[in-house]
Amino acid sequence: MTSERGTFGTRSVQFAFLAIAGGAWWFATETGSVSRLLLPPPASVYATLERLVQTSAFWSAVLVTLTTIAKAFSIALVVGILAGYLITRSKLAMDVIEPVISGLFTIPITLFFPMFILFFGIGSGSKVAYGATYAFFPIALNTIAAFSGLEERYLRAARSMGAGRWDTFRYILLPGAFPVLMTGLRIGFFICLASVLGGETISSVAGIGRNIALAAELMESARMFAWITFVVLSSVTLNLLVYSLETRLRSR
Amino acid sequence: MSEATLQAKTSTFSAVWRNPTFLRVLLIAAVVLALEIYGRGWADPAFMSPPSGIMNAFLVKIAPEPKIIEALWFCVLQIAAAYALSVVVGVIIGLAIGATNFSRVAFFPVVLLLFAIPQVSLLPLVILMFGLGPAAKIAFGFSHGVFPIIMNVVAGMRDVKELHRRAARSMGASRADTIRHVILPHIVPSLFTGLRLGMTLTLLGVILAELYVSTGGIGYYTRLFAENYSPAPLFALIGCLALIAVLFNELVRIAERRLTPGKRRHPKLKIPVKE
Amino acid sequence: MNEPAISIRNVTQRYEGSGASGAVLAIDEVSLDIRKGEFVCLLGPSGCGKSTLLNIIGGLFRPTSGTCTVAGRLVDGEPHPDQIAFVFQESTLFPWYTVIENFRIALKFKGIAKSEWDDRAMRALKSVGMASFAQSYPDQLSVGMRQRVNMARGICVETDILLMDEPFAALDEQTRMVLGEDLSQLLAATGKTIVFVTHSLAEAVFLSDRIVVMTARPGRIKTIIDVNEPHPRSPDFMLEPRFSELRNECYSLLRDEIRATVAAQRDPQGADA
Repeated sequence: MTSERGTFGTRSVQFAFLAIAGGAWWFATETGSVSRLLLPPPASVYATLERLVQTSAFWSAVLVTLTTIAKAFSIALVVGILAGYLITRSKLAMDVIEPVISGLFTIPITLFFPMFILFFGIGSGSKVAYGATYAFFPIALNTIAAFSGLEERYLRAARSMGAGRWDTFRYILLPGAFPVLMTGLRIGFFICLASVLGGETISSVAGIGRNIALAAELMESARMFAWITFVVLSSVTLNLLVYSLETRLRSR
Repeated sequence: MSEATLQAKTSTFSAVWRNPTFLRVLLIAAVVLALEIYGRGWADPAFMSPPSGIMNAFLVKIAPEPKIIEALWFCVLQIAAAYALSVVVGVIIGLAIGATNFSRVAFFPVVLLLFAIPQVSLLPLVILMFGLGPAAKIAFGFSHGVFPIIMNVVAGMRDVKELHRRAARSMGASRADTIRHVILPHIVPSLFTGLRLGMTLTLLGVILAELYVSTGGIGYYTRLFAENYSPAPLFALIGCLALIAVLFNELVRIAERRLTPGKRRHPKLKIPVKE
Repeated sequence: MNEPAISIRNVTQRYEGSGASGAVLAIDEVSLDIRKGEFVCLLGPSGCGKSTLLNIIGGLFRPTSGTCTVAGRLVDGEPHPDQIAFVFQESTLFPWYTVIENFRIALKFKGIAKSEWDDRAMRALKSVGMASFAQSYPDQLSVGMRQRVNMARGICVETDILLMDEPFAALDEQTRMVLGEDLSQLLAATGKTIVFVTHSLAEAVFLSDRIVVMTARPGRIKTIIDVNEPHPRSPDFMLEPRFSELRNECYSLLRDEIRATVAAQRDPQGADA
């Protein structure tokens, strides 16, 4: 959406914005106008983070979260694409089922989180199920849009050239659907990430989210901020990575 | 359904069987029936309850309980407050960012960057800052709901047709005229896309905060029911919240239908694209 | 009476391109006088700057150099809605307003008293036979009907000059011909000065008093062709041998220019060299 090139002027405004935000953080803690509990100084957050990444507890928490995300996303990917594709094979099935899925998706799936806890317990199982359920929706909806959005005339053209069923799927349907499919996977992935973190924050025994919530409960705000900084930095990096990957795939 | 019966009269029965709305209702009814049979016959009552049991729990354990009703009512008020705040602030910021090419290119990436942060990692911090009461829940709902509104207002302003601007100018429209009669009406469909997504995310934010705070409100009761292995009242409570969510979403849709002039409504948003 | 309605003197328009595309010379030293009540067509290959020239006359673009005077008043990148009305190439009716509201807004922008709005709007709508669609939204009308309304919106502000930027481009050929006939009749009735930009040879011959044929970019005036045929013109005019002769003359003049444009599109490096 923001393919517009920044100029020197806009870049400097962006830089100034970040600098002011960082400066305000530093200034507020220096003058003591904000409680240290709510906003620890940047230096102490950095020191805490530095100490944290050297502990094995840190990396085992990260590993728990990453494994949970990987499991949840794999389930959502397979089930979402399969279900989405099968639904598009019948016009009637699409008319009947698609509104149900898109309607459900406007309700926060988080509502059902207590049910997942009830069914799968407080461990990572409930987070896998919750993350997979949440990510299923955008993946399935985009798969439906991807395979049904293809214009009829391409299929007709392919048929006129003598393409068989497999040829049509391999050379027409799949490449035509690919960009929208990828969008669904990207949205699904980040929703999966956010919901796993959210599940861990609300109710769990391990993982990144649990550690943030724990630090908050114990009022160790430097530790909490260190974790938040880690999450923010890695998710922003991940976003930029996925974005550049997508632009590269698309420009080919 | 009225459409379905009308068709049955004019043509054959097969027309009814091909009516998507009818089939959808049938599908949902079948799922409910299957759950009922499974819930009565095989399910462990500690984890599952048939729909009839859930209805019963609603009548016996939820509706007569003034504290639960109060918690639900608070939830409604918080959603309304968070959404109102999202709309006002989102539209103002969106208009400011979209006002010029420079401000858009400079600030829009900042908005996208902020939106890319998994906000749920800030939930404990928000609770520390705003306390366990409604303020935190409103703040968290607002911080979720405001982004899609900003983004869609900016996108709407960017798409104003150059030819429409030029036509207005050729008729002698002032800058204020152009904003009032060209730009603002133009962004209406895109604004409503933002308002719809904003509602979905406001609901998410408020519910997340409600569930996180387990010492009171909805979060207390969900935890209580889950820990006591009483699925029926838990499902009934979740059902109430889902109903609230549906009603709020429907309100935005009604406003959209009423307030969009001409036939310019965007097609029903199928892909809630997060950008 | 002999003072021209529009007088263009040595107008040049240059666009400062960015990066590899470099600066583009769109119009090069164009001079032209247009008499009162005259119908002039600007005809040329795409990208020859005919729309740019029209926008300069209308005060929507400021020329890089040269002057444009309308009824003795210098136009310098400021629109003069009291003298000039625009009808644009695609329907520029605002889709969020009904047909009648579109007229009201145009009259409001122009500063006409509110009491006159509906009278004027209905008069203009009647003149194009669209009075019964006043309460419709543009999206509810066909493209041809929309363009009728759009034309009427240009007429209702009652200016002496009407600038039309390919108003019929989005229409099919048959609708185009009917609207062309209507326009010819309207012109005869109102005595407006009209400058009309088009791609269509037949349209240019059928409508114009004079056809200004322009060269490929940079746009210069190649020739001006006179069409001596009184308005309103009947469709029979198209069947006359003179019509085909004029059309063919325009085509032979344009052919090389169109080829030059196509060649430039096919091989930008070759065209630069």
